[in-house]
Amino acid sequence: MRRLLSYIGRFWHRYAFGIFCTLATAALGMTIPYLVRDAINAIQAHDYLRLAFMVKLICGAAVLGGVARWFSRFVIFNCGRDIEYNLRNDLFAHLVKLGPEFYERLKTGDLMSRLVNDLTAVRMMIGMGVLSFTTTPLMWVLSLSVMLSLSPRLTLASIAPYLVLFFVMYHLSRSIMERSLRVQEGIGAIGAKIQESLSGIHIVKAYTLEQHQAAQFRALNDSYNEQGLALARIRGVLLPLIRGAAAASTMIVLIYGGALVMAHRISIGDLVAFMSYLVALAWPTTSLGWTISLYQRGKAAMKRLAEIFETTSTTMIEEDGPLRLEVAGEVRWEDVSFSYFANRNGSSNGAAPAYALRGINVTVRPGEKLAIVGRTGAGKSTMVKLLTRMIEPTTGRVTIDGRDIRELPLGGLRRTVGVVPQEPLLFSDTLARNIAFGRTDASRDEIIEAAHVAGLDSDIAMMPRGLETVVGERGMSLSGGQKQRVTIARLLAYNPSIVVLDDALSSVDTETERAVLESLGQSVRGRTTIVVSHRASTVRDADEIIVLDQGTIAERGTHEELMARRGIYAGLFHRQLLEEELTQY
Amino acid sequence: MEVGREEKLARVHELTLLKRVWSFVRPYRLPFWIAVVLMPLNTLFALSQPYLVKLTIDLFLDPRHRPAPAWLHPLLRAAGTHGLLAMGALYVMMLLGEFATFYGQFYLTMMVAQYSMSDLRTALFNHVERLPMAFFDRTPVGRLVSRMTTDIDAISEMVNAGSLTIFNDAITLVAIVVIMLTFNARLALWALCAIPPLLLMVNFFRVRARVVYRDIRERLAALNAYLAEALAGMGVIQLFTRERESCREFDQLNLRARESLMLANIYEAGLFSSVEALSSITIAIILWVGGGEVIRSLIGLGTLVAFMEYAQKFFNPLREMSQKYTVLQSSLVAMERIEALLEEKPLSRPAAPARITDRRGSIVFEHVDFAYRPGEPVLKDVSLTVEPGQKVAIVGATGSGKTTIIKLLTRFYDVKAGRILVDGVDVREWDLTELRRAIGLVQQDVFLFAGDILENIRLGRVDLDDSAVRTALARAQALRFVEQMPAGLREEVHERGANFSAGQRQLMSFARALAYDPRILVMDEATSSVDSETEHLVQLALEQLLTGRTALIIAHRLSTIQSADRILVMSNGSLRESGTHQELLARRGLYYRLFELQYGAPDTAE
Ligand SMILES: Nc1ncnc2c1ncn2[C@@H]1O[C@H](COP(=O)(O)OP(=O)(O)OP(=O)(O)O)[C@@H](O)[C@H]1O
Ligand SMILES: Nc1ncnc2c1ncn2[C@@H]1O[C@H](COP(=O)(O)OP(=O)(O)OP(=O)(O)O)[C@@H](O)[C@H]1O
Ligand SMILES: [Mg+2]
Ligand SMILES: [Mg+2]
Repeated sequence: MRRLLSYIGRFWHRYAFGIFCTLATAALGMTIPYLVRDAINAIQAHDYLRLAFMVKLICGAAVLGGVARWFSRFVIFNCGRDIEYNLRNDLFAHLVKLGPEFYERLKTGDLMSRLVNDLTAVRMMIGMGVLSFTTTPLMWVLSLSVMLSLSPRLTLASIAPYLVLFFVMYHLSRSIMERSLRVQEGIGAIGAKIQESLSGIHIVKAYTLEQHQAAQFRALNDSYNEQGLALARIRGVLLPLIRGAAAASTMIVLIYGGALVMAHRISIGDLVAFMSYLVALAWPTTSLGWTISLYQRGKAAMKRLAEIFETTSTTMIEEDGPLRLEVAGEVRWEDVSFSYFANRNGSSNGAAPAYALRGINVTVRPGEKLAIVGRTGAGKSTMVKLLTRMIEPTTGRVTIDGRDIRELPLGGLRRTVGVVPQEPLLFSDTLARNIAFGRTDASRDEIIEAAHVAGLDSDIAMMPRGLETVVGERGMSLSGGQKQRVTIARLLAYNPSIVVLDDALSSVDTETERAVLESLGQSVRGRTTIVVSHRASTVRDADEIIVLDQGTIAERGTHEELMARRGIYAGLFHRQLLEEELTQY
Repeated sequence: MEVGREEKLARVHELTLLKRVWSFVRPYRLPFWIAVVLMPLNTLFALSQPYLVKLTIDLFLDPRHRPAPAWLHPLLRAAGTHGLLAMGALYVMMLLGEFATFYGQFYLTMMVAQYSMSDLRTALFNHVERLPMAFFDRTPVGRLVSRMTTDIDAISEMVNAGSLTIFNDAITLVAIVVIMLTFNARLALWALCAIPPLLLMVNFFRVRARVVYRDIRERLAALNAYLAEALAGMGVIQLFTRERESCREFDQLNLRARESLMLANIYEAGLFSSVEALSSITIAIILWVGGGEVIRSLIGLGTLVAFMEYAQKFFNPLREMSQKYTVLQSSLVAMERIEALLEEKPLSRPAAPARITDRRGSIVFEHVDFAYRPGEPVLKDVSLTVEPGQKVAIVGATGSGKTTIIKLLTRFYDVKAGRILVDGVDVREWDLTELRRAIGLVQQDVFLFAGDILENIRLGRVDLDDSAVRTALARAQALRFVEQMPAGLREEVHERGANFSAGQRQLMSFARALAYDPRILVMDEATSSVDSETEHLVQLALEQLLTGRTALIIAHRLSTIQSADRILVMSNGSLRESGTHQELLARRGLYYRLFELQYGAPDTAE
């Protein structure tokens, strides 16, 4: 809430103007009855000129009032839009800094709903809320002071129901808030389900899960309905409550005031005036009820947004890092152990945290090539992810040129170490823009060159729009191998000093693989290269090969040394190599 | 993440849209109409209260003038303060009546809106799920989420705030006009002068606002689609230090959305305040015209004052309606987008699905042509035959169309020319569900649902017990690591399986197909991210499983396909070679070259 106030504070002058316009609207609105009275007096006096004058004044007041009302409404509501806009940008800017553990915890669809539905709720709260929270007290103060001057006793008596109302409201608002929160979570869950089912639509179709998914969706909707109606049940009493309080105080005025009139303590005129003031109070107070439920909903929503804001990540990118670090390119893992569960307090499984890596000690000298092999789940990708601080070692450290990477500026580090992740992920944009993803200033020639090195020439030639072809969400409209090679081109255009390829050619046929490896080898010559692969062809020429087994280094050496050992490495590749010999008949 | 791509929608008539909304509200018409009836009742209860107050004052508090008939006077005198209490009691009753009707009407409308919109959402979801893959190729998921959440919310607002009160307002409006006309037709016509400018304004607003609301929906959808994609690809954005550019692009979209939203506010506020101003101007007109008549003694002053009261009341429903009109417009635009979605055609279904007599699992492609986009042929005259029980492998360069063959086989897309027969029947004549049930598919694009491992293998088939799941996992060599997990089969799977290694994900999706126990097993690069030892073990396990089943295998690592009965070599969208491993090697063609490249000594290449 304090965060929100600071946003509102930013627009205080516009709010002030908006509220000024609101007051002007009210003032102009109040003068019209006076003018009408004067006009009627003029009619009674058969004074045509005066009548004409009054009619003109009324028209003038109407037009002015209209303009003021117009301003007051859109200025205040647009402040809400502006706050929403800023909040959305700030949320995004914050999200961009959060690490993978955050994105694993919250689903995309859920996050989406926070940035869409919750933000809307917050905006509605500040649009209406500010208006209502500033005008209502004003009305109260004005009315109360007049009422007190008329009869303090009657005032106190007639105000009593409102005091009770505030007390009840205080208690109700808790459960409105809780139920609002549940409604927001409900729609969040629905959004998340849509997001997930449709992202996996190819699985849904292949396994004819349409009905199964629809049933799950229906269930989410059903519980959302229940949550919505549970909220409606309380919100439904809100208005009657407020009107009830207003009515009760009218009753008090009527009965108690009536008795006072009968006892000649106050005049009938006082009583009528009292009543009209209470009526004047009723409207803003009623709208206050609406505002309260908006407020509660907004507060619940803000709570969900605050959860995002309050998540801090160890790997925050600093605002102005150097573009790229000047490094020789020596990479070293020193006694590195890593567990995905070490700093996750939620999922303690009782037992000691399972380590994905244990006691890793590897040094890659500048310009050399390190290959990491090992069975599925051995920890190869984990080792590589440590280099860019997507994850941080649980113990030990990773250094580049002898400096702990935690001491390097993160932006600089990530521009120095370029990774082709194992899962090729592209964005629904043109091929050219996907290739220039990491370096928006890359020239056309650089893009074409990168595509060429990645062996994309013939694929691009087949597409009528060439590099301007839009690839669909996640790169959906490309073949598996094309996607992988675009991610390689993306890396080349990024031009990092240290190159990391995590199984980057697994979906590529051997002929293309060979060509790509060859041109890639030339273009990364002199740079430290780290490759992960399951294919002998990719790893055999590495300066050092390490074999990971269940998170530890089981073997290390060159291809020949490892083959001679007849250990895990030989076991992994002997079949590939056996066939190789067979073909040399 | 293209910034600024927009969709163009065909315009649909408003009435059609409203009819569509009504078709979803219709099942709940009973509560709907009850709420409609409660509304004027509520007004009645509310209006009776000030009248009671007036009566109380007149009857009890102001003894100077008693409008009550003479016979009542003794009664009133006798009643005294009791009378006051009686009036109080009556007042409370009216109040309770008001609350009860309000609550009933409020709850019922909420219920109607909630249920009908939830039906709409579910219907939409069902519909979208069944749309052909080509639809998903061009529609980002983020947009679909917007349609099914925020767009429906906009309609919901109309259903729960607008539609009901509009009846009430309309009735009030007509009633007041009738009263005014009978009261003084001439003055009434003058008062109705306000109507033409109002209509002009509404029309102006209608045209402008529709455009603005369309922009809003479109821009918000684009913003949200961008957001969804950025969130899903955040890892890549961070790896490539694209944070700042992404923020800038997001800001651009955000700005564009804000621009239309603000414009809409300006229009809305304009409409609302014009109605207000018009109401005061109408008073002025009545004063001027009526005042003249009073001065010329044509009518009495009382008539004029009363008439002004009515003119005021006449604007109340108009004011309400003008506010609802904006809600209506924005929800119509939302409905327009939903309508466009509903009009997307699912794959044609055979009128009467063919009865499959011979279920042995044969596949025939006859001169198949296919293109994802017109003018870009991807498959050219592909013919192939897979006999029941045969294992056929497809190899070829990347992008040569292997995966496309499979997508056509399972009818993710329809062929452009030629036909595909499964068990002797054209796939277009199969019942789609049955066709896909017959084919177990391991797709190149691995996808796991958030949940746990068990659910991901079972995929909703409750008949599949733990042991069957274990068997499938064991065959796919996935049981080993699954059992190492603390929770075993119940180990949590995060969105897209993010907490597993790529190879593990692939093995689990393989196990999923094996658990499916299909007649035809299709494997598209099913073990590309798996080490060769595990891959070999998978193959051994497959061998016994595949006896008697038809299998179509796509792989780049030739070691995985050598044992196939037949190998098809694809190049550039057509089939070039076909034969057994030995035959193809002997032919020294494309296959030979692939093989040599993979296994031949480096120096013998080229
Ligand atoms: N959804 C799509 N929309 C448009 N074009 C597509 C789509 N899917 C694939 N293509 C194009 O069709 C061609 C064949 O793709 P396909 O996926 O069949 O190749 P593949 O043989 O499976 O290649 P890989 O070995 O790389 O997986 C490619 O040029 C690809 O760009
Ligand atoms: N985000 C995560 N949360 C929890 N556990 C994880 C996570 N990512 C990976 N793991 C686990 O850590 C181990 C190592 O995973 P890693 O991705 O490093 O394997 P890999 O060697 O790259 O395997 P592959 O060859 O299949 O890509 C695996 O057992 C995996 O299940
Ligand atoms: Mg990996
Ligand atoms: Mg493919």
